[in-house]
Amino acid sequence: MTQVLTNFVRALRASNVRVSTAESIDAAATVDVIGFSDRGLLKESLSQVLAKSPDDKERFAECFDRYFFADDLRGIDTADGDDLEPDAPSADASNSEPQHAGEQGTEPGSALASLMTGANRAELQIAVANAAREAGVADIRLFTQRGMYMRRILEILGVEALENEISNADEARQALLGALRAQLIAEVREQVERQLLLYTANTWPDLREEILQKVPLSAVEVRDFKFMQGLVHKLAKRLVALHSRKRKVARRGHLDVRQTIRRNIEYDGLMFDTVWKRKKIDRPKVIAVCDVSGSVANAARFLLLFLYSVTEVIPKVRAFAFSNQLAEITDLFQASSAQDAISAALHKHGWGSTDYGRALADLEKMVLDDVDHRTTVLILGDGRSNYGDPGVTHLRKIHERARRVLWLNPEPRAFWNSGDSEMRRLGSACDRVDSCRSIQDLERLVSEIMRTAV
Amino acid sequence: MNPSSSSEISRAAIDAIQAGLAATGYICGDSIATAVYLAQALEKPVLIEGPPGVGKTELAKATADHLGKPLIRLQCYEGLDEAKALYEWKYGKQLLYTQVLKEKLGDLMEGASGLQASMDRLHEFDDTFFNEEFLEPRPLLKALWTEQGAVLLIDEIDKSDQEFEAFLLELLQDYQISIPEIGTVKAKHSPVVFLTSNNTREIGDALKRRCIHLYIPFPDSRLEQQIIESRVPELEASVRLQIVSFVQQLRTVDLKKVPAVSETIDWARTLLLLHAQELDPQLVRTTMNILLKFQDDIENIDAEIVGMTRAAVGAR
Repeated sequence: MTQVLTNFVRALRASNVRVSTAESIDAAATVDVIGFSDRGLLKESLSQVLAKSPDDKERFAECFDRYFFADDLRGIDTADGDDLEPDAPSADASNSEPQHAGEQGTEPGSALASLMTGANRAELQIAVANAAREAGVADIRLFTQRGMYMRRILEILGVEALENEISNADEARQALLGALRAQLIAEVREQVERQLLLYTANTWPDLREEILQKVPLSAVEVRDFKFMQGLVHKLAKRLVALHSRKRKVARRGHLDVRQTIRRNIEYDGLMFDTVWKRKKIDRPKVIAVCDVSGSVANAARFLLLFLYSVTEVIPKVRAFAFSNQLAEITDLFQASSAQDAISAALHKHGWGSTDYGRALADLEKMVLDDVDHRTTVLILGDGRSNYGDPGVTHLRKIHERARRVLWLNPEPRAFWNSGDSEMRRLGSACDRVDSCRSIQDLERLVSEIMRTAV
Repeated sequence: MNPSSSSEISRAAIDAIQAGLAATGYICGDSIATAVYLAQALEKPVLIEGPPGVGKTELAKATADHLGKPLIRLQCYEGLDEAKALYEWKYGKQLLYTQVLKEKLGDLMEGASGLQASMDRLHEFDDTFFNEEFLEPRPLLKALWTEQGAVLLIDEIDKSDQEFEAFLLELLQDYQISIPEIGTVKAKHSPVVFLTSNNTREIGDALKRRCIHLYIPFPDSRLEQQIIESRVPELEASVRLQIVSFVQQLRTVDLKKVPAVSETIDWARTLLLLHAQELDPQLVRTTMNILLKFQDDIENIDAEIVGMTRAAVGAR
């Protein structure tokens, strides 16, 4: 029973439900109380003990159905040795089968053959399930292991004896046994497939997520867009959790003795009105500018998505987009959902040819009054100005006033300053220039910005 | 232990809980009754999540009624701390007692020569002012002190700070709390604990791990009809069916705030008051402000009222 439960917990973890050791102990206690025979009740109560969010509950339900189909409840009770189900005797007989199969195998008419000719599919299934358990099929991780586990299960079932019997038998029996063997193999394959599905349900998305985090933004393929958006959103959410907490901490503090004494003079120095030391909260202002021209179009989608997420984290963000003309998209971001806002921004301002000179001049005109020592200016772009004036003088003016200017470039460093890229000149007017090629880079950089900005 | 008989026993117990809750006017499905049963069997707190207005708080009240135990409620809010949740020293009383006992103290000190001797004398009495006499119990401590066990409701845990959530861990795990001056206070009888959350922020994993997690969704049509029947029994069955069908439709529309069960009940009461025999668009329109609490929602839904009403009246 414990084995069944621990395997189930493992299957749950494989399908991305986080289950701690303490919770699996709870699950065991729950099973003690509830028992195995009422399936609906078992599912409901285990779901309450093991799955702790609506998402988890959904995954739990799926996994439960798959697992307890694969591992028939009847089989579990027999493994316990005390079963009240009507067909317990037959199950018990098959239970002991695998152990004896090997010994009896030398005689003609092996146990396996008789089990198969018995033509009771349920019995055969139970025997296969038990052999699978013995073979440790729960450890399966990769689809390439399928063959190995199938072989192992077949061996435990005593397929060797069956083979001998087939080669020794007369023709008619040979044909019959051959057909039965094919049926058996199909049964075993099905069993292994089910287990593989159960224990590896989630390894593929995990792997995909891991790879996509490192893929350059410009190289993301269209079919992965949706998945990437999920990733970016996840990242932004994590940052929100991290930094909203910081703002709260700032409200606490120690007693400010000097202030307290001063304020309580009017009460004859009795400490009536306490004053607490406060950490000064720096209200950061972020001005984010995103290049959405044709050359960075692919990356721009994610940069915009990220920008959108950032507006949710930091209250005062002004967002701009440009290809040759600069336009403020803050209102657009506030009014509509991420999806709509991004496609609207790309549609309205995107796909043109870049003119950094014009865009930065516009930026100076539009925001210079708003830039002060608390402002972080964040520019996302490739710095390719089609051999036009890159507008360094405008950027420098902003740089002089701003707390800092950061430039994130979606191109790798080796490509900078080649062709029409003006990164060296533009970089001279920035506090920091960094290559931001993948989601991973983005997370690292933004986390750094937040740490110092918030 | 016999597995199938234990299943039968727990099934019977769960059915009994369901019936017991129904007797107090709280109609619920299997999952809720199972959670209440498990909470008692495993002695674990239940974390209840779900959209607002599905009866999370109500469940705690009904359970208290059903078990015949007192309900102790702690409403969480930002800035809630131990002094308000757990205990506070009765400073005033302590002060008063010291004043009154001042002279006594003089008597006690009489004859003690030297500082050391006086200190030794004082040490004999030092715990006098820090014992349970001077402790003002707040909800959590009250729940532990209750003789026959209590139902403790920690409402809207998501509104409290993370620090408070961490502070709750000791209580929820072992049903005990540490008071530095006294020591550990252990529950005389494990209380049944319910925590509710509207998910305005993610509850920490540590807390979730210690709880049974119950998610209460909006009830399906059948269950909601039973709820209305128990709460507004005077209402005719046909109108009840129409009301529930209408509200169920309303929940599928994108709204700022979808109507909850409590609003359905309010609406049913309203229609009863107006002696409505059947839903018609005009009636729905005039009473819409009971179901929807945002003007935007009411305006957005206006065009669809006729169609929805027709579908609701036609529902069987």
